[in-house]
Amino acid sequence: MIEFAEELIRLKREGAAAVLATVIEAPEDGAVNPGEKCLIREGAIAQNTVRHEALLKSIVDEAAKCLREERSRTVSLEVPGVKGKVEVFFEVIPSPPKLIAVGAGHIAVPLVKMAKILDYHVTVLDDRVLFANRERFPDADEILVGDMAATLKDIPMTPTTYIVLITRGHKYDEPCLRELLHSPVKYIGMIGSKRRIKACFQRFKEEEKIAEEVIQRVHAPIGLDINTETPEEIALSILAEIIKVRRGGAAQSLSGH
Amino acid sequence: METIYDQIKEFLDKGETVAVATIVSTRGSTPREVGAKMVVTAWGEILGTIGGGCGEADVRREAIEAIRSRKPRIVRVDLLDDISSDSPAVCGGIMNVFIDPWWKERAQEAAPGGK
Repeated sequence: MIEFAEELIRLKREGAAAVLATVIEAPEDGAVNPGEKCLIREGAIAQNTVRHEALLKSIVDEAAKCLREERSRTVSLEVPGVKGKVEVFFEVIPSPPKLIAVGAGHIAVPLVKMAKILDYHVTVLDDRVLFANRERFPDADEILVGDMAATLKDIPMTPTTYIVLITRGHKYDEPCLRELLHSPVKYIGMIGSKRRIKACFQRFKEEEKIAEEVIQRVHAPIGLDINTETPEEIALSILAEIIKVRRGGAAQSLSGH
Repeated sequence: METIYDQIKEFLDKGETVAVATIVSTRGSTPREVGAKMVVTAWGEILGTIGGGCGEADVRREAIEAIRSRKPRIVRVDLLDDISSDSPAVCGGIMNVFIDPWWKERAQEAAPGGK
């Protein structure tokens, strides 16, 4: 078991996502035994004591599902060749969520502060060093200055990445959005009035043949419907929406989904 | 950053067996979430928590037994005591806790041809 402990220590230190699957109940014929386990890191088996091949395959498949939903749970698996149910506990070890604020304007300042309180790894990106700098964002983990769409292209996107598009205009949001629409990020929110967003999506659909369901991924207008007025309140409603997407709540979003 | 696995590794390195107790499912209201875990040593020392109170004492007792027998087990913890009682077990829920003994060479013993 020392190998499991060592691998778990390593991946927590590196912030990598993983799933630890443990058989907790099995028929007594001995084909599978409680305590057999498998550690799956980025889709690959890192450590394993599960001997039954069909069970191992089911475990790897189910682990991917649990990781996507970021929820630990017990699953009853039916395994060919094993009479009776095999109960497996899947413990999800998520990598810390990553928030990228694209646009370093007046909403980004409270957004970054609050996101740090919530324990996100926070990146700020803008093409103006006058805005994207340490004085304005003392808490940010990373401050990037450069063409926003081009820089986004170079950042690795994962299912625990949350993107907040709050640039100074749709001229900047749209190329960023194009970079993101097919990426595996968990959340894309874009600021803007309903009218401007509608026009933007219409253009996307007609000129670029982007499917409706891809566009549906974008939360725009951004945030929960709490009648915000100040930049701080908008930042709060954006983060509340991100928590809703991450944890699965039922609060009403301004985008209607 | 020190994780619970660093502590487990320290015990395993010393050749000791510990029991890792994890909440694997819950029903109703429980003090901690699925995935919460605590480690129990052979002497009954506890690291981490799965919610405290009566349930934890039961789990601790079973954990010591699991270390002795080197057999994992599931313990059902009932938190359904009368709301007016002084017991801490009045949350209203039930949780299943999987108790798994870990020792250094265990992986090899479970390998094919093992038992």
